[in-house]
Amino acid sequence: MHCPINMLTEGEAGRIVRFTREDVAGKMVMMGVLPGSQVQLVRIAPFKGGYYLKIDGMSMAVRQQEASSIVLEIGNGAI
Amino acid sequence: MRKIALVGNPNSGKSTVFNQLTGLRQKVANFPGVTVERKVGIWTLAEGERIGLVDLPGAYSLYPNSMDERIVLNILTNPLDEDHPDAVLYIADIQYLDKHFLLLTQLLDLGIPCLLVLNMADVAEKEGLTVDTRLLSDRLGIPVVSLSARMGTHLDILELATRKLLDSPSAPLAPFYRLSSAERQLTEKIREATGESVPYRALLKAHHGKLLNCWRSADEPEQVQAIREAEQFQSVRLQIEETMRRYEQFEPLLRDAVRRKRETRSLTDRLDSILTHRVLAPVIFFVTMFFVFQAIYSWATVPMDWIEAAIASLGNWLGSVLPAGWFSSLLTDGILAGLGGILVFIPQIAILFLLIGLLEEVGYMARAAFIFDRLMQPFGLNGRSVVALVSGGACAIPAILSTRTIGNGKERLITILVTPFISCSARIPVYTVLIGFVVPQTSLGPFNLQGIAFMGLYLLGIVAALAAAWMLRWILRSEESSWLMLQLPPYRRPVWRNVWLTIYEKVSAFVLEAGKVILLISIVLWGIASYGPPDAMEAAARSAQEAARDKGLDDTATEDLVAAYRLEASFAGHAGKWMEPVLKPIGLDWKIGIALLTSFAAREVFVGTMATIYSIGSRADEETVRQKLASARHPETGLPVYTPAVALSLLLFYVFALQCMSTMAVVRRETGSWKWPLLQFGWMTATAYLASFLAFHALQNT
Repeated sequence: MHCPINMLTEGEAGRIVRFTREDVAGKMVMMGVLPGSQVQLVRIAPFKGGYYLKIDGMSMAVRQQEASSIVLEIGNGAI
Repeated sequence: MRKIALVGNPNSGKSTVFNQLTGLRQKVANFPGVTVERKVGIWTLAEGERIGLVDLPGAYSLYPNSMDERIVLNILTNPLDEDHPDAVLYIADIQYLDKHFLLLTQLLDLGIPCLLVLNMADVAEKEGLTVDTRLLSDRLGIPVVSLSARMGTHLDILELATRKLLDSPSAPLAPFYRLSSAERQLTEKIREATGESVPYRALLKAHHGKLLNCWRSADEPEQVQAIREAEQFQSVRLQIEETMRRYEQFEPLLRDAVRRKRETRSLTDRLDSILTHRVLAPVIFFVTMFFVFQAIYSWATVPMDWIEAAIASLGNWLGSVLPAGWFSSLLTDGILAGLGGILVFIPQIAILFLLIGLLEEVGYMARAAFIFDRLMQPFGLNGRSVVALVSGGACAIPAILSTRTIGNGKERLITILVTPFISCSARIPVYTVLIGFVVPQTSLGPFNLQGIAFMGLYLLGIVAALAAAWMLRWILRSEESSWLMLQLPPYRRPVWRNVWLTIYEKVSAFVLEAGKVILLISIVLWGIASYGPPDAMEAAARSAQEAARDKGLDDTATEDLVAAYRLEASFAGHAGKWMEPVLKPIGLDWKIGIALLTSFAAREVFVGTMATIYSIGSRADEETVRQKLASARHPETGLPVYTPAVALSLLLFYVFALQCMSTMAVVRRETGSWKWPLLQFGWMTATAYLASFLAFHALQNT
């Protein structure tokens, strides 16, 4: 199932399949965040703010608008 | 002298390497025209050769998203730049080599001799991570050294490898990146048209155009632009494609070279589940800040009292040894008063930077930016603005400089414009002197009541900063998109060397730069307060003596009255009097007027000015300025000058007004015009005046 990061709940994880905005993609790939990278949504910040992500073991914070343009492939197994 | 640059991503531990290699032999300034910090130092090799080391700002790639990255791009692409290095030490965090290799491969394609430093080898070892440096070295064609800058291990190996690299720059490699056919066609055309010899630099010229300054001739940018158009060049898309292909090229290499055990839930994860917790995080942040301010307020007073006492007794001693006259007066009331005014701040600055430096060093500041990003957005600010606003608690100048990490121009401008509202350390002495006139020295539970009032003044500054930001958000227009992508480095034990160097650097910058101004102002002040139009000075002295006789005052009181009259007749008195009509509505007199004028050089001058003003003509004594103000009486009425209403009015003026020419100079340089600092000065003074007016009249009538 494909799903943007802002639709995940805390703790869910998946692999990046694509970016929906080119400017976000440009900045992300320069920081080493690529299609195929393993991403986990660790936590949403206080005041419903930023998204704390674990990307290939590296901790990173992005805003809702960036999070919504990163699309993940998440496992469709039962929880 | 041969030059080496340290290059690497943010959080690669570059600065720790730099500090290890240079120690105190380093200088911090700015790159010309911008306020990105330029750290240069001397690295002395074992054989005595001295190498110029420059610590370039952190960058992820040669496709810049920030001012820092633009600086790196420009220095590394332009062989004529004064910081263009003979070789690069590329610092990479051994735990995240996949994220750190992009920029390295770009440097290799520019043909710059590189040495790859795998930093944080100690952490890697602990986590069972091994890297085959031999394999990396063979496949990349460059020397590779793994070390730990934090522990200081293998620095000797780094030195050997560096010397070898400098002495026999390795044969030019085939470029790492294989250009796509479209890119090859484009770069061939650019090379034919302009004579550019490095294919990758030709490609960068197409991507960046006028952003670069490595052009060989004036018409080269137009030639490249024409080729771009002919080829229908799509910069952003090609940047992404190039980057992805670079990853495809080096990821297999890293798979072969890096062996890691599966990681468990790390300490960082466990700490972050508390420190970035939805409810606990802001509480922890504010408790931390409260502790920081209590620490400054209570810890610093002890060494400050020592310094004050030492200066006072030195003054007494000089006064008793030297013959009375202008020289003794200049030395004790001018120079010594100025020196005291400088030295007394060192404890506060040191404690603040100890705490802020520690928070930065362990990795907490990045979390603060993450936690507060959403809260800052309605004010047109960015999570990173929090770091600037907090540092503004020490001094607006480094705080404004720290805004360069904010990528969005409008958010950066707003942060710069509102940061001076945050109470800086230079306001601390003013608050310290005046707060006792408004709030009694008692305790409220475990807390000092004056400490709480102190925090109140800080909060007032924060509220003003946010309100101003909120208004600016609606006034300023911007088409830029606002974004935040922030790496949260793993929590680490602080490297004390880094913290000490930060404190040393801030304190010495203050003493040497702000100190010069303070000392100069102190001497000028002594001059204008001791001298005036000769006739007027004599007349003042005569009329004071007559008045004293009429009132039947004793010798001491007569002397003080003469001093007061003489000061009133001096040049300083004239300047203050000229301002008095404006100051009267907010309860201030011409003496404070003089202090307001002089403290524009630096707010802390207020204290020195008041000391000078109130000690002129009186015998040297060991009373502190505070006590001097408390005993100040109107010469005619005999009532205290510093009532709670006056003190509060003056306090509020200092909370809000932009009385710092250094800040204005920095803002001008940051924003590129006098428009912003002048506007900033205007509205901050207006806010200050209004607040003082309201407070004075509210308190006066109770």
